[in-house]
Amino acid sequence: MPAGRSDRLFPAILVGLLLAPGIACAQALTGDVGAQAIVGTFHADPVPGGDPLTELKLVQPLLMLRAGVPAWRLGFIGTLDFEGWTMPNGELAPGDWGEGFVDRRHPHTYVHELLLVGDVVRQADYRFSLTAGKGFAPFGTDDPMSRPFVRYPVNHHLAQILERWVGIAALSIGPVTLEGGLFDGDEPEHPGQWPRFGGRFGDSWSARLTVRPVKSIELQGSHASVASPEHRPGAGLTQRKWDVSGRFSGRLGSHPAYALVEWANTTEADGFFEFSSILGEGSWSPGRHRFAYRFERTSRQEEERLIDPFRSERPHLDNQIFGTTRWTVHTVGYAFAIPLSTLRLDLSPLVEVSAGRVDKIDGLFDPEAFYGETTFWSLTIGARIAFGMPMHRMGRYGAALPEPMLHNHGEVM
Amino acid sequence: MLVASCGDDGTSPSHVSIAVGSGQDQHGPLSAPLPTPLTVLVTDGSGNPVSGQVVNWTTTGGSLDPASGPTDDNGIATSAWRLGPVTGAQEARAALAANGSASATFSATAGPAAPAPPLVATVEVPPNYGAHDTYVRDGIAFLCAWNTGLILLDVGGGGHGGSPTHPVELGRVVTSDDGVPGGAQVHNAWWFHNPVAAENRYVFVGQEGPASVGVSAQGDIHVVDVSDLTAPHEVAFFHLGAVGGASTGTHNFWMDEPAQILYAAYYNGGVIAIDVSGTLSGDLGSRLIANAQPGGPGDTYVWGVQLHDGDLYASDMLSGLWQLRLDRSGGRFSVVGGGNNVPDRFGADLWLTNAYAYTGTWGSVPRGTNSGNQIKVWRLSSSGAPEAANIVSISGAGNVGDNEVSADGKYLLATTERGRDEAKGLYLYRLADPANPTLAAFANVPGSSNQGGGLHTGTFAVIGGRRYVFAARNPGPPGAPPPALVIFDVTEVTP
Repeated sequence: MPAGRSDRLFPAILVGLLLAPGIACAQALTGDVGAQAIVGTFHADPVPGGDPLTELKLVQPLLMLRAGVPAWRLGFIGTLDFEGWTMPNGELAPGDWGEGFVDRRHPHTYVHELLLVGDVVRQADYRFSLTAGKGFAPFGTDDPMSRPFVRYPVNHHLAQILERWVGIAALSIGPVTLEGGLFDGDEPEHPGQWPRFGGRFGDSWSARLTVRPVKSIELQGSHASVASPEHRPGAGLTQRKWDVSGRFSGRLGSHPAYALVEWANTTEADGFFEFSSILGEGSWSPGRHRFAYRFERTSRQEEERLIDPFRSERPHLDNQIFGTTRWTVHTVGYAFAIPLSTLRLDLSPLVEVSAGRVDKIDGLFDPEAFYGETTFWSLTIGARIAFGMPMHRMGRYGAALPEPMLHNHGEVM
Repeated sequence: MLVASCGDDGTSPSHVSIAVGSGQDQHGPLSAPLPTPLTVLVTDGSGNPVSGQVVNWTTTGGSLDPASGPTDDNGIATSAWRLGPVTGAQEARAALAANGSASATFSATAGPAAPAPPLVATVEVPPNYGAHDTYVRDGIAFLCAWNTGLILLDVGGGGHGGSPTHPVELGRVVTSDDGVPGGAQVHNAWWFHNPVAAENRYVFVGQEGPASVGVSAQGDIHVVDVSDLTAPHEVAFFHLGAVGGASTGTHNFWMDEPAQILYAAYYNGGVIAIDVSGTLSGDLGSRLIANAQPGGPGDTYVWGVQLHDGDLYASDMLSGLWQLRLDRSGGRFSVVGGGNNVPDRFGADLWLTNAYAYTGTWGSVPRGTNSGNQIKVWRLSSSGAPEAANIVSISGAGNVGDNEVSADGKYLLATTERGRDEAKGLYLYRLADPANPTLAAFANVPGSSNQGGGLHTGTFAVIGGRRYVFAARNPGPPGAPPPALVIFDVTEVTP
């Protein structure tokens, strides 16, 4: 079958498979829905060219559905992301990159997750699950969208592998979980694009080992081989990725707290190119307040910019980069929760400020000439509006979660 | 120039003057951008540049971009002029916003648009980074198609009925990756006509591996036996090790065929000369005659080389155009002239003919704030040293990556890519005055929404009494034409 035809057919078959059990077992179906969006003013100074820029954007507009057929031990995860409509040109974020965007965080695809999870074995100390569909490969840390900040870290494409056709097996024995996954290496080129199945599925793999010595602590190490992520037909270089992190989710004093420390590393061309990141972030939520801080230092490849200086050329013409830069970013955030219980709404006004610097490591790209200076700052003022079910931890499915997903509502960050 | 005076600090609006900088008296096609942007210089009563003075730009025809803007730290304001659709004289005016009576006037003449040569054939290649270069000789085209390999096409000399309008594939070979990540990455080729051995047996193939431009590179030279054009096969390779601790990779070639020497640009490795006499087999590492980094460590990234009047000229992206001389017995190159002469832009390909040289410019990242939108024209001194003679600007271009002069010396071709879609394609210039190339023809090869498209390289070929340009069209995003070898018949536009 031609690759293009199979790429179109596979989503249709998958949707059918996902809907069939639900229809057949409507009486036994459990589920929940949720939605959220963040409306805000995004300011960055400088942006490419040296000037400041302020934009009003609706970001992370999500519609989430989780459903299950307990009798069949089947779960469904669906997350629709409408950023392709609300922010087609991306979100201002100095240092961020990926999928042809630079210094802007790219919009995600409309179908962010579409997964069928089968809890093959679910016992007290022993769980085994199989997951298939479109979603996250078992690698690295949770999607930044499900973490305390609006602003994505620079290391997003070093620390997560998302929006791929995935097939994942997860085995959890006591405090130890091992996941292995196959997926397609190609990353999306635009929000309306499905991953390639024909000719690409299975060209990439990842594995993640997670240990939870106590309930509030999660340690993980993961490795991935991603074939040609930035060249959809498959002629690009293979990435080797490593990620190690420690995550805390519990209480500090009597209030919810969260912390994450992470090291991520990606090499290409057998180590000829190497990019790495260290990141630490945390939040503390006394009452309705939430205070958060993040530090990261991440290296980034510099590619050719288009006429639009926030975009880089896709597809590539060769295997060259034009320099490497290091981005050091401090971000502080504050949010205030206003539950509107009668409407099942949560309203959280928020503010985030980032400040940092960019340093040239090597190559021709001169950040001082390009940005006019090597320090930058950004400001986000807005509000998160959420309805219904809170956002789940994006990036872990089935036995890889500490608890079955339908019982995992609202882990506090 | 207008000057008014009052005020006390010499920089009040009525005390500054505005004068024409560059861009006066240009000629261009109707409704097309002029090659040289308009600039004005704003100075105070003492003749010192004044920054931050807003200049408004207006025109009797066409458009100016920007229509308004401040002077920079050097007192200069710049605007690009796209001519209007009316033949004849057109006028543009730059006026100080704070004092409209202080103004400078530019004149230009609009003529018919440069004719476009007809596209007579397209040979599409898979989107595996597309086609990068073509070498044409004796009616055989060697299409360098990255990981698809080297494709041999009969375009009039292969005996299989091919022609420039109907290329016929003779054979293809995917050269070894030699352990270089990314595969064969076939980038360029040279079909060696060996007058000593009286054979045309070998094609040298350049592998352009992963690179951090300006710092390091990878990629070897591969030797393909084409004794049977329908069954090409690799027989030898050359690998240059690390220089100064950084891996190196090859780029464009030139040959001294009577001396049986292959010259290769080697990016951060500089330039090399290899003895390619006799039978070529296996590792050719022991055949290295000499290598040199003309700009020195950290300032060498050589794009192309050409032998001219006994000297080797090297165009270095970082350090400009060099004149080198090979001491074969001593096994070394020496610098004879040139160098450190293109500080404003990154250099690209070169071509020399008679007493002139032409070099392209590369702007995938800007040097300072400059893109690769120029052809540098050089006059060679009596000793052969290059001296800057002129600049041809191509408004809207991102890279002028390749250039070549026709065998009769009458025309210069330049290929552009990146930048604005309307500026991408094939430019042909008359060299009636070699120091002042004038546009003779232009074939636009756009991408989609200013992405992709354009021509990576181009080369002249005379086949059957007609003149053609074989060019490599870049891949692009969905909606853009696929990567391909495109063949233009330029006979009528280059009489």
